[in-house]
Amino acid sequence: MQHKVKIPSPLQSYTQGASEVSVAGNTLREVLAELDHRYNGIRFRMIDEQERVRPHIRIFVNNQEIPAIDTTLLAGDEVHLICALSGG
Amino acid sequence: MLTADECARYSRHLSLPEIGVVGQEKIKTARILIVGAGGLGSPASLYLAAAGVGTLGIIDHDRIDLSNLQRQILFESTQLGASKADTARARLLALNPEISVQAYNQKLTADNAVQLIQPYDLVIDGSDRLATRYLINDVCVILRKPLVSAAIYRFEGQAMTYVPERGPCYRCLFPQSIDGMVPNCAEAGVLGVLPGVFGALQAAEALKIVLDIGTPLLGRLLTFDALDMRWQEFKFTRRLDCAVCGESASIRTPQDSAAAGQSRVALLIERLQPRALHARLQLIGDPPILIDVRENHEYSVSHLPEAINIPLRELSQRLGEIRAAATSIFICRSGARSLAAASLAIEAGHPSVAHLEGGMLAWAQDIEPAMVVADALKFN
Repeated sequence: MQHKVKIPSPLQSYTQGASEVSVAGNTLREVLAELDHRYNGIRFRMIDEQERVRPHIRIFVNNQEIPAIDTTLLAGDEVHLICALSGG
Repeated sequence: MLTADECARYSRHLSLPEIGVVGQEKIKTARILIVGAGGLGSPASLYLAAAGVGTLGIIDHDRIDLSNLQRQILFESTQLGASKADTARARLLALNPEISVQAYNQKLTADNAVQLIQPYDLVIDGSDRLATRYLINDVCVILRKPLVSAAIYRFEGQAMTYVPERGPCYRCLFPQSIDGMVPNCAEAGVLGVLPGVFGALQAAEALKIVLDIGTPLLGRLLTFDALDMRWQEFKFTRRLDCAVCGESASIRTPQDSAAAGQSRVALLIERLQPRALHARLQLIGDPPILIDVRENHEYSVSHLPEAINIPLRELSQRLGEIRAAATSIFICRSGARSLAAASLAIEAGHPSVAHLEGGMLAWAQDIEPAMVVADALKFN
């Protein structure tokens, strides 16, 4: 199942500037694994070695918070990766 | 009571049933503090002054630089070098002499934050450092003040509002961040009009809260992508374990909150000034490993002779190339990417990690004035 994944500006250096990519997976975990397979290193910027979402990153499916990265995705679900911004 | 001049000045507000005379009087008695007279603070303060907010406070310790004028519309080309806070005050009073404006030509710190924020009804966060954002949030939670927060980066912005007892705070959204994990606008650039969009939005939110009308951005993160011209909204809830507004909050004073802005990881990173690094490189024996985490193109323009090049985006895959037994010193253009790189190395278990504060720009200024440092933006 393919899902649209929105990439936050601070991580677009991994995706060669793409703000949206299409990634296959049945769960968020699978989508993140596939994303990392394609864009080496991007997952570690979002998920730490204890498998926790980093505290300056939020992951939403459609416009809702997700409880865990094992969340099952449904057809048409969009994954939004949001990064804290600092600029003013 | 509104004067005849005020009735004329605010006639378009008075025509709105949601505002009217009663609402305009509420705006007149409101006291709003704007932290940062920058990209966000400029439009926010101009609109709030124009709207007749009776008392505005504006905090900024900086001076006007030519590079500010692309987006900081409070200032003019003839005012370079002048105090931002004082210049903003004069500009806002010229726009609306009916109001009072306090200029605070100082930095918001854990020591002065309570004293500065206490006299105000509401705070607008237009700061440009994550540590300041957390400090403002924490003090607003502690003092029970509404906060309208926004942040921008390149073509993207985000905004949320906190009202005590009515929704989650900024730390519920992003429990912790450190400057450096997130690049700043000085490093990566920002579309000049973007803070205009978000500063105006912050002013609108602030007026709604003063007037108690409409639906504020409570538990809703509003994002905008100027390239796609798309707004989106994400719902988030209060965290019961939030360090400042949670049920057993660990942050009870601004001193604590300032420290909490620095994670365990950040505290393990040694921060080297250029002169300290220069001295370290002169020592004989046990040489450190220098890792320049800029893009290849930037590295090729100039770099320290001892430095190897591993761009930040490749670092998590290539950490194995760095011998963990030696001290790793990370370097970039201005110190943001190197701090992020140092955090990654600490998390990967490297025991001795440092970064060059201020990056190659600071090195060139202090140690090698003839050095040309590449502009990061050309290579994004």
